Amino acid sequence: MPPSGRTPRCVVLALVSAVWFGLGASPAWSQDPAPTDPNPGNLTLTGGIDFLNAYLFRGIPQDDTGVVMWPYGDLGIALHSGGGPFKTIGVNVGLWNSLHTGQAGSDGPSHKLWYESDFYATFGLGFGKGTNFGVTYTAYTSPNAGFNTVREVSFKFALDDSGALGGLASKPYVIVARELDGQADGGAEEGTYLELGASPGVPVGWFTVNVPLRAGFSLGDYYEGVAGDERFGFFSVAGIVTVPLSRMPTRVGSWNIHGGVEYVRLGDRNAEVLGDTSKVIGSIGIGLSY
Amino acid sequence: MFVTYGVRRSALAVVAAVGLVALTSAPAFAQEAKDPNPGALTLTGSVDFLNQYMFRGIRQNSSGIAAWPAMDLGISAYSGDGGLKSVSINFGTWNSLHTGDTGADSTESGLGCACGKLWYESDFYTSLGLGFGGGTSLTTTYTAYTSPNNGFSTVKEIMFKLAVDDSSKLGKAAVKPYIAIAREFDTSPGFGQADGGENAGTYVEIGFAPGYSASKASIAFPIKIGLSGSNYYELATPTGFEDNKFGYFSIAGIVTVPLGGTSSFGSWNIHGGVEYQKLGTTTEFFNGGESNQVIGSFGIGFSY
Repeated sequence: MPPSGRTPRCVVLALVSAVWFGLGASPAWSQDPAPTDPNPGNLTLTGGIDFLNAYLFRGIPQDDTGVVMWPYGDLGIALHSGGGPFKTIGVNVGLWNSLHTGQAGSDGPSHKLWYESDFYATFGLGFGKGTNFGVTYTAYTSPNAGFNTVREVSFKFALDDSGALGGLASKPYVIVARELDGQADGGAEEGTYLELGASPGVPVGWFTVNVPLRAGFSLGDYYEGVAGDERFGFFSVAGIVTVPLSRMPTRVGSWNIHGGVEYVRLGDRNAEVLGDTSKVIGSIGIGLSY
Repeated sequence: MFVTYGVRRSALAVVAAVGLVALTSAPAFAQEAKDPNPGALTLTGSVDFLNQYMFRGIRQNSSGIAAWPAMDLGISAYSGDGGLKSVSINFGTWNSLHTGDTGADSTESGLGCACGKLWYESDFYTSLGLGFGGGTSLTTTYTAYTSPNNGFSTVKEIMFKLAVDDSSKLGKAAVKPYIAIAREFDTSPGFGQADGGENAGTYVEIGFAPGYSASKASIAFPIKIGLSGSNYYELATPTGFEDNKFGYFSIAGIVTVPLGGTSSFGSWNIHGGVEYQKLGTTTEFFNGGESNQVIGSFGIGFSY
């Protein structure tokens, strides 16, 4: 899910302060030369927390009251890298969560903050010329009973064309996801989802600007409404600025703060649920890669 | 919560196979460096399988298997030579998945959400650890115990643990004693409390963890006693709630076998053991009138 928040200033300051403390304030650290790579092994940890003013899941409105928080963590396991047809083989497992202070969370009927908790596992294959293929199983669960569990398998084909196009790279991808049990739209049948996207970006000074573009479609029963299944789910364009908190990896990894604005144009089914045809989502967050 | 067990052999075989594949089958593994992670972050994780889940002596399920996936991220924030030797911060999640009456079979049992959801418990915790000289450490931990399948109301707790690692002085005779005091907060009658009682409780735990390590395996014998400092083991009586001081006594034997040495995937192990608990009046009542409980467990863990 793309980062997209509006945050109490004190929370942002506390998070940034905590990270700066972690990165630079410790006497022992400042005396040690920072290793170029604190983690040369085969496991990679990424994580973060984002704050948003609204949450739309693939265009399906979830909550636009209060503050939405997305804490997440991912463990990547590099099983293979080298020559041959498969340049890389990897497995990722992770948790992604959505905490809501509004109607879908602590201000809602359950009075519980924790709206969504997703567990996923991905098997990824990397081929030549930046081509990647991944298969992901995801269980979308709701600890505060905001929705019934949805189990899904998805296939993603992506091309990292930055090697060939440099700064003009668009990094296109296509995702096809099939619901196995439960439904995101709460409809009559399990659905099949198609997403086409690209994520062009350019470094600007010491930060990066990305402009992810996404369009979501139903290949069958994914956006079910009163008028039946609608093909078009949403189109989204965003601008996201990522600012690294250090120029080089530190002993505690590479940290960044990021924020942006996303504009989402909805299909009729989702617009009817939201009560509007579009939504602007602001976000800010902090991320870690180690 | 500490490790205890009883595992289906099929689950064990799968888990062990996965671990062995990860450690041995990829050509790149054997060529990797000794310490794959010299940085300041440490990741630990585990999955354990048990025949019974007792939380501080309070029974949480009465049928099926409990599986405990857990993950912890440790941040070494400071190390020095002064009075304060180390500062560490940990975040983690600990979970309990139940196949029995408080989990996947809850539709039949009518417990919790009565909706057949496996995920009984999900705890989030964060701790600040201070290390002093002589192996002494003080750790303050905030924990939110939540139940995704509505098996219990969220319990929030702050705990202080004072521990001494006396292995540098006593060697193999070290007992590693500790005392922990935990206080529940944000409670109301029947809510936010491990015992579902009337008042927020204070829990006291005193324990030791003697053990012996060899190159191919290690064995530990954790011993602990759980007491109510106040209102932690409340029991409903005709005249109101009565707090019983003694919660439980536990002794366990746990064997940990490393799966090879440290590789580029970290250090993996399989572990298993048996725990015996002697329960007090309140916990005996929660355990269906049975004052003794034996728990078998088996799991796989890693540190990176």
